[in-house]
Amino acid sequence: MREETRREAVWQFLTYGFILLGAVTTLVPLYWIFVASTLEESEFLSSTDPRLIPGDSFLGNFEALRARENVQFVGRVGEMTQYVDLGPVYFAYDFWNLWNMGAIESSIFVAGVYTILSLLLCSMAGFAFAKYDFRFKQPIFYAILATLILPIQLLVIPLFLLMSQIGLTNSYWAIILPWLANPLGIFLMRQNMRSIPDALLESARMDGATEFQLYYKIALPTMKSSLAALSIILFLFQWNLFLFPLVILDQGKYTIPVAINQLVGAQRVYYDQIMVAATLSIIPIFILFLFLQKQFVSGILAGSVKE
Amino acid sequence: MSRITLYTVRKEFGSGGDKILAVEDIDLEIRDGEFLVLVGPSGCGKTTTLRCIAGLEDVTSGRITFGDRDVTGLRARERDVAMVFQNYALYPHMDVRRNLGFGLKLSTKLPAAEINQQVEDVAEMLGIEELLGQKPKELSGGQQQRVALGRAIIRDPEAFLMDEPLSNLDAKLRSQMRTELQTLQHELDVTTVYVTHDQTEAMAMGDRIAVMNEGTLQQVGTAEEVYRDPVNEFVADFIGSPSINVFDATVDGARLDGPGDFSYHLSETDPVDGLRTVRVGIRPEDIQLVDDGIELGVNVLEPMGNENFLYATLGEQEATARIDPTNRPQPGESVSFAFDEAALYLFDPETGASLKTKRDGVVPTTPDSIPNREGVESTTGTGPDTGSNDDQIEETVE
Amino acid sequence: MATRDSLPGPDPSVRDRLRFARQSVGELVPTPGEGIVGYVFLLPAFVLFGVFLAFPIIYTFYLSFFRFNGVGNDTLLWIDTGFFSYRLTSIADLEFVGLANYTTMFSDSLFHQALFNTTFILVVQVPLMVALALLFAVALDASFVRLRGVFRTVLALPVSANLVAYSTVFLLMMQDAGLVNYILTSLGLPAIPWLTSSFWSRITIVGAVTWRWTGYNMIILLAGLQNIPQQLYEAAEIDGATRIQKFRYVTVPQLRPVLLFVFVTSTIGTFKLFSEPVIINGGGAPLDSTITIVQYIYQAAFIDFRLGYASALTYVLIAIVSVLSAIQLNVGGDSDA
Repeated sequence: MREETRREAVWQFLTYGFILLGAVTTLVPLYWIFVASTLEESEFLSSTDPRLIPGDSFLGNFEALRARENVQFVGRVGEMTQYVDLGPVYFAYDFWNLWNMGAIESSIFVAGVYTILSLLLCSMAGFAFAKYDFRFKQPIFYAILATLILPIQLLVIPLFLLMSQIGLTNSYWAIILPWLANPLGIFLMRQNMRSIPDALLESARMDGATEFQLYYKIALPTMKSSLAALSIILFLFQWNLFLFPLVILDQGKYTIPVAINQLVGAQRVYYDQIMVAATLSIIPIFILFLFLQKQFVSGILAGSVKE
Repeated sequence: MSRITLYTVRKEFGSGGDKILAVEDIDLEIRDGEFLVLVGPSGCGKTTTLRCIAGLEDVTSGRITFGDRDVTGLRARERDVAMVFQNYALYPHMDVRRNLGFGLKLSTKLPAAEINQQVEDVAEMLGIEELLGQKPKELSGGQQQRVALGRAIIRDPEAFLMDEPLSNLDAKLRSQMRTELQTLQHELDVTTVYVTHDQTEAMAMGDRIAVMNEGTLQQVGTAEEVYRDPVNEFVADFIGSPSINVFDATVDGARLDGPGDFSYHLSETDPVDGLRTVRVGIRPEDIQLVDDGIELGVNVLEPMGNENFLYATLGEQEATARIDPTNRPQPGESVSFAFDEAALYLFDPETGASLKTKRDGVVPTTPDSIPNREGVESTTGTGPDTGSNDDQIEETVE
Repeated sequence: MATRDSLPGPDPSVRDRLRFARQSVGELVPTPGEGIVGYVFLLPAFVLFGVFLAFPIIYTFYLSFFRFNGVGNDTLLWIDTGFFSYRLTSIADLEFVGLANYTTMFSDSLFHQALFNTTFILVVQVPLMVALALLFAVALDASFVRLRGVFRTVLALPVSANLVAYSTVFLLMMQDAGLVNYILTSLGLPAIPWLTSSFWSRITIVGAVTWRWTGYNMIILLAGLQNIPQQLYEAAEIDGATRIQKFRYVTVPQLRPVLLFVFVTSTIGTFKLFSEPVIINGGGAPLDSTITIVQYIYQAAFIDFRLGYASALTYVLIAIVSVLSAIQLNVGGDSDA
């Protein structure tokens, strides 16, 4: 009996040790990103005596990053005329002389617009697949599903040619449009919307709702949690896109990943500035993660739903 | 409020080879203000018929009119009918107030204040004023049921359509809601079509009952008519609990020979003239235990309190009898029974059509004795009028 | 209980007027017929899917039989109404080369290197990560573990890290004078050339990818574990199974479909690797020794502008991914796929 208890204790100790080791390994780089962004380059890049506690150079590094000529990471008060070019919507916002979008604003703007539009499209398509009958429904659905296994960055070549053809190079639309009809999003919405009882929709039909009202007054409100999970998947997808923005966008429009890449590839690399950039692109999402844990986790799980 | 008429309504699902015929050429008239119950076993097409009336399904052929208005091509939202679903189908994201007001908000131009007034009136009528701020998932089954009813009532529709609305309630609440629903319907005086698979519910609630089987309408009539004077063996078997005992018998002049030692001399041979065999039906309540008669082997005795159900064998056949509670034959014993010829049912062995039904002198309520609220002449559908009791037949099983 | 006067929003009459206006507009819009409504809802997504996913997939295949000579300028269609003029030009200026792009691959040593590097990362990283994810999931699923939610959150944090940003951080930590080598030397271990040796630079990428994705897979596996009926463990307990035996005979078989999913998606993920090697290699490693397939395709397409060849490479990659997924599904999921 004593033997049993001792073994159990050892087992528990080992389990906790393993979990703690994992947690520390996970947190060290995150801690270091934050610390390094508050230090001078020479303070943290030292093989003999790197500093591991926060310093006070964050604002200095941030100002230096903002002042960079070749990469505009953070927006600044508009000096030159800046345009929002969304193809049909094209306007200069220098008339306010307010703000030149930097990479951070670009990324937030692009990921936000993408998330909203894609939610709309995916939920509409999912609604159609889940609740209507029409010819070729199954073949169309499986065709969309099949593209899930494709690494979509591989479509970069034809997409690049297509965008040059329709004149969308260096437009934010170029990195929004191609993945709006997100196969994973359509699949998830279809799966979830199948759980809406038909009687609910019919009841609304009898109450005088049009088909479109069924979608936005009944289907969407009952799908709130699925939509929240999906919006996180979509936002992070766009937030992390690297290859296609790198190919299609010019310097003035860089998103965060491309801008950081530019900082790393520059002639003189300022690591302290890079750490500020990394902090600004990672830490806000971490905080969001802590607040929206439930949605993040269900987003991850939603992404792993099997048929 | 209006009369609903179905003219040879047919509904097929699918196409080509795997076509399913759900409703086969039904003719039916539901009178203004009437409570009509569509009843039948599952898959008989009763729900499909209701959904055709609602406009949730297109009819394959035939016409549907509300009063003089042809609604065949109209969508559900253009027909001005309200439906109560089996699972109530309350909008889960809206509170009771918004659930009730949703239909008015979408389909009328009433100002919000007016809608709200009506919501409160209906809630008061149903005794759910206290629940207006709650979401459906916070309500009990009975409360949800009331909200679903309220949502139908508030629209002041031409007709109520109800699809097994009580089947999710427990037995006690169900019988309470049954009465409440009937009272409400009489008060509101709205034409109502009510679908159920439960013949007891059908008989208890309907002004008239329409019995369906395999997509065809078997018979329309009052509870007593379908019970006493079924048009065929199916209706006889479906209506009445426990079910009627039916078995084959050979015809020899006036003598019927059935399973076991069943043998009976008909005093009236008209129904079986020219037949070699016939299907004989005796309702369990018409079996009288006597000292000397046809022998039954007792299997099980179920005491019900006010009466006993006797499950027995007649030859190779199962038979059921409702007997006096003081009478307690034990399993394994034999008992003898007799019956009145007036209570005997005879069915054609080929078509199942009734040859003889109960003629025990009780005059059943006829459709004409039902209060006719708008004074519409009381023809019943477009069926053949032979002038006899079976003028309700629109279609019979072959 | 809300009353009539306490309804939210502006003056009710204003809301009413808005609603009536909406209803009138709604009445003007024709309602599509039964068989059509589905198409109407599907249309926007379907058009975008067709133009930006289906077309590129097909066009890539077409392109793989051509040499690319530049962006096209041949006029295919020209509409000029005076007010409005539209000219449709060909997408690209192409020269048909048959299977040449595919045969070139056999003698392309850089492609072979990329294939080798990707395979190396695949063989080392995927099993390592899945094993770690499974161990963390099982550990967190143990009944005695407190603060389970906190640990789960911490381990899953890297999922939200921006790909390029975290790659950059790894680049810095792995410098010769970086944090990792400092920790190693303080522990009395030798410093390791994480970025400059071709072997260690691959290990660096394995480490970075494992750090980023282990928590993600752990969450999926943890959900799978929690779906295993508790009675199975109790039955095994009664049969006298040890902890290891329970893991071997209950957990693993029950978790098989989920494990399979994790394996397949991780494999596809490895073939998609781009940000990590580009950033980390760009920081100093000998390029050829760590180049991955997608990176090589990018280089062929957008640095050398050999779009035809890059398209052929893309199709070979798609073929490899499909075959590998199919094999994994066949080996791992005889009952459930």
